[in-house]
Amino acid sequence: MAAPIIELKNVRLTLESRAGPVEILRGIDLEIERGQSVAIVGPSGSGKTSLLMALAGLERVTSGTVTVAGENFSRLSEDALALVRGRQIGIVFQSFHLVPTMTAWENVALPLQFAGAGDAFERARAHLTEVGLAHRLDHFPAQLSGGEQQRVALARALSPDPQILLADEPTGNLDTKNGRQVTELLFDLQKRRKATLILVTHDERLAAECQRVIRMADGSIASDEKAVAA
Amino acid sequence: MTSVVTPLPARPAKSGIALTDLARMAMRELRAGLSGFYVFIACVALGVTVITAVGALSDALRSGFEAQGEAILGGDVTLARMHARAEGADRAWLDAQGRVSETVTMRTMGRRIDGEDQSLIELKAVDRAYPLVGKIELADGVDFATAVSGVSGTAAVDPALMERLGLKVGEKMRIGETEVVVAAAINQEPDGLIDRLTYGPRVFVSTDTLLKTGLVQPGALVRWRYALKLPGDTGSDSAALAAFRERIKREIPEAGFTVADRRDPSPQVSRTLERLRQFLTMLGLASLLVGGVGVANAVATFIDRRRKVIATMKSVGATSRVVFILFLLQVMVIAIVGIAIGVVAGYLVPWIINTLFGDALPIRASLEVTPASIGLGVTYGLLVALLFTLWPLGRAELVSPSVLFRDEVAPGATRPRTAIIALTAAVAAVLVVLAVYLSESRLIALYFCGGIAAIFVVFWLLGSAVTALARRVRRPRWPELALAVSNLGAPGGLTRSVVLSLGSGLSLLSAVALADASLVNELTSRMPANSPNYFVLDIPKGELPGFKALVDKEVPGTAIVEAPMLRGRLVKLGGTNVEDLKAPPEAQWVLNGDRGLTYSPTLPEGSKLVEGTWWAPDYDGEPLVSFEADLADKLGVKVGDMVTVNVLGRNLSAKIANTREVKWENLNLNFVMVFSPNTLKAAPHNLLATLTLPKTASLQTEASLARTLGKAYPAVTAIRVKDAIDAFNDIFSKVMVAVRVAGAVTLLAGALVLAGALATAQRRRILESVILKTLGATRRRILVAHFLEYALLATATAGFAVVLGGIAAYVAVEHIMKIPFAFSWLPVAQVLAMSLGLVALFGGIGTLAVLRARPVPHLRSA
Repeated sequence: MAAPIIELKNVRLTLESRAGPVEILRGIDLEIERGQSVAIVGPSGSGKTSLLMALAGLERVTSGTVTVAGENFSRLSEDALALVRGRQIGIVFQSFHLVPTMTAWENVALPLQFAGAGDAFERARAHLTEVGLAHRLDHFPAQLSGGEQQRVALARALSPDPQILLADEPTGNLDTKNGRQVTELLFDLQKRRKATLILVTHDERLAAECQRVIRMADGSIASDEKAVAA
Repeated sequence: MTSVVTPLPARPAKSGIALTDLARMAMRELRAGLSGFYVFIACVALGVTVITAVGALSDALRSGFEAQGEAILGGDVTLARMHARAEGADRAWLDAQGRVSETVTMRTMGRRIDGEDQSLIELKAVDRAYPLVGKIELADGVDFATAVSGVSGTAAVDPALMERLGLKVGEKMRIGETEVVVAAAINQEPDGLIDRLTYGPRVFVSTDTLLKTGLVQPGALVRWRYALKLPGDTGSDSAALAAFRERIKREIPEAGFTVADRRDPSPQVSRTLERLRQFLTMLGLASLLVGGVGVANAVATFIDRRRKVIATMKSVGATSRVVFILFLLQVMVIAIVGIAIGVVAGYLVPWIINTLFGDALPIRASLEVTPASIGLGVTYGLLVALLFTLWPLGRAELVSPSVLFRDEVAPGATRPRTAIIALTAAVAAVLVVLAVYLSESRLIALYFCGGIAAIFVVFWLLGSAVTALARRVRRPRWPELALAVSNLGAPGGLTRSVVLSLGSGLSLLSAVALADASLVNELTSRMPANSPNYFVLDIPKGELPGFKALVDKEVPGTAIVEAPMLRGRLVKLGGTNVEDLKAPPEAQWVLNGDRGLTYSPTLPEGSKLVEGTWWAPDYDGEPLVSFEADLADKLGVKVGDMVTVNVLGRNLSAKIANTREVKWENLNLNFVMVFSPNTLKAAPHNLLATLTLPKTASLQTEASLARTLGKAYPAVTAIRVKDAIDAFNDIFSKVMVAVRVAGAVTLLAGALVLAGALATAQRRRILESVILKTLGATRRRILVAHFLEYALLATATAGFAVVLGGIAAYVAVEHIMKIPFAFSWLPVAQVLAMSLGLVALFGGIGTLAVLRARPVPHLRSA
């Protein structure tokens, strides 16, 4: 069996609060295979998003090891983590998080430019065309609807062709119709690119579309199910 | 069953909600605290501090001046005139008024006994009654009356002169034709301020000693001053003093005395203080206006964060007007907090200056709180706060309740109602009218307001142009630069407010610095090539040939230009008494005190006839005078009008035969009034001359000539032009310090606005950098992007500031001061460095915080 693309060993995350230390993640062990689609579900405060942030290298864990695409995150500096993200990880947020001062086109070209692609803008145009926004290249985020913004965010996340796609409630801020469109696009692109998708969601129907569903409760993994139809 | 709930009226009362209820609501809204308004408060407080401090300091000095008027003046009233001692009837009249003390001042040379060195001195001879008020303090506790005794030829001397000539107490020095013994060093002279604008160190002798020097000759430039201590309470009664001055005019109308009383011991010093106060108040107003940008930014941000609150209020029935008043009340309460801080801080400034530098001030300042100074700070503070808040508040009232249901897609730049725009324009107009009305030089005040408005417009346009350009320009391929450019063009970004606030501050500062550099340049290095080396005073007419021969023998090739010189006071101009003339401030000096007068058979060299004709060389008719054209124009006299001057205690009238243009800046002998020879020739007078040494003459030759002339003509006074200019520069540079401090406050206001704008943008910038980090940007990339953005912003702003400041300085220097403008790189470099420094400092602090921010909380909460 090939080495997992994501491997977590006894990961703990404790944050300080006024009331004292709060254990957010309590000894998570997890392996995710390359190309798999995984949903992380659970009630609010169960640690879903924190786990996702730890996988993205945006949150440093208190103890344990996080290995993503062969890189041990605890050994990497902040900048090295940024470089890993730039090449290997695409992230889609609930609030889209587009750079408001840049057009859709510039937003999508940005990670490509960071990665040193000479043809960043040509590629970015292709990615935006892929998500159906060829006609919105020069629009600023504030001039786009929520669904359109999320599609730009999706194009941006996938533009450097990452091995891993992390999505935090990608449809949380969208209406049903737009949510549906974005979801279809997300799974379609993931399959076509054979990327590993990790999806945090409250939506059981969305989770059911993934090959594996991890349920979290109180900072721990409560269950880990592989979908039958996977 | 009847309902217990009182039904609401079918429609609200016509008057709407009561103001008191609105005020209560406004206070409730303010419960959230003042956070977000610190920059607003600081901007208002800073400008009000400057205006109040300038007023308070000027009040303190004026009140100190008045309180010590008697000591400064050396009596209740002084009467002074040139050339003529009060004798006979004049003296008898003075003696009849109260106790009298006679002092004589003149500029002459003090020499070592061996003749090896000499120095210009300000000689003051006093009688036994001196001083009527106060005490002259001498070193080592020596008694003044003993030190300057009537007969023994002793002197009390400024220690600076003792050091300069290497003299010790007990040693002799030569003044004119006599020798005096240095009896003591002077510690303090209470009435010295009256003769303050002096070039040389003070030497006190008795009147008897002065008469032995042979310096007091008919026509010599000697000033006789009579201090009077009036009987009873007359001196401390303002009305009685005014009545006494009227009596002087009535009873000795032709005595030609310049009168001062203890209420305003030196009108010239008071006027200088007043003009400096007005000028510094203008600079304070400028800093308040620059800070206004910070006020506007703070209010805009506040309104932006309150959009949902405003929408909620509207959804429950608040009208636009109610929203406007509600937020106006809140903003004004905050402005009043800033104003109150500014007024208190403004009053601390004179107190601090007095505590720290009280000894260095020419007079003891006495702190005084005047309604005028507080009122001015408060009024300007309120007006500027209103000016800059009306617009954003006008936009607040237009927020739609639909904001509650959906976020507006890119809220557009809405324009407030016409009424609000008109109100803003009215407030601006009131500000301009007030600034102009409170200024003596209304035209200059108007120029100043126009200049400030122009600077604001230019930087507003520049900010908009940079934003538009950054949006349109093709994004560079270098991502850091692309980020920087996109930030410059960002809607709601920093560009406009930073360019506007920093730009206005920097242009004012560069205008002041460039004008200062031009003035200094003019006064020092760019002295006209043909400017003389020495002014020589009091050459007796009969000794001119010998004097000329000696100069020619010592330094052959020296050019000597001489002119008769008397001093007299203008009494009437065109039939009006000068006291009743309303002259513009720039021409006022002609009417104050005495002026140099001369006569000439021909048009003096360097002058150009403007109107009328010059008299024939042998003219012998009605007395005629030639008046300087520009001043004649300002004083409202023309060819054919009569001019009356008092010379040697006699009134003398002459008709203006012509006006002429004079080039003052070439430092040659120039006079406002040149009379026809028959008018003044008979009056006893000496000659004034300029000596222009050949270019090849060394400093040693110059010094040796001065020594030789001193030995041969002890009564003649030679003033080195360079020394006179240095003395002027010394005073000028002190005034410029005050101007620069006030100018620097404008930049500080700009820096505050910059800090405020950066703080407002900080949340957005942190989120942006966090997003960039998730996309793989390293900290170096973010740092570089920020650096590029700030560098572009600071360079564009400073560049324009230097150009605009340069234009303002050029107009002020060439057209108002009428001296050549000299561009200087140093102030430009300083402005650029300050701009980059400020942006680097505040931007750097912001960027550090951005780089340190933990991504997760920002990604979750947004």
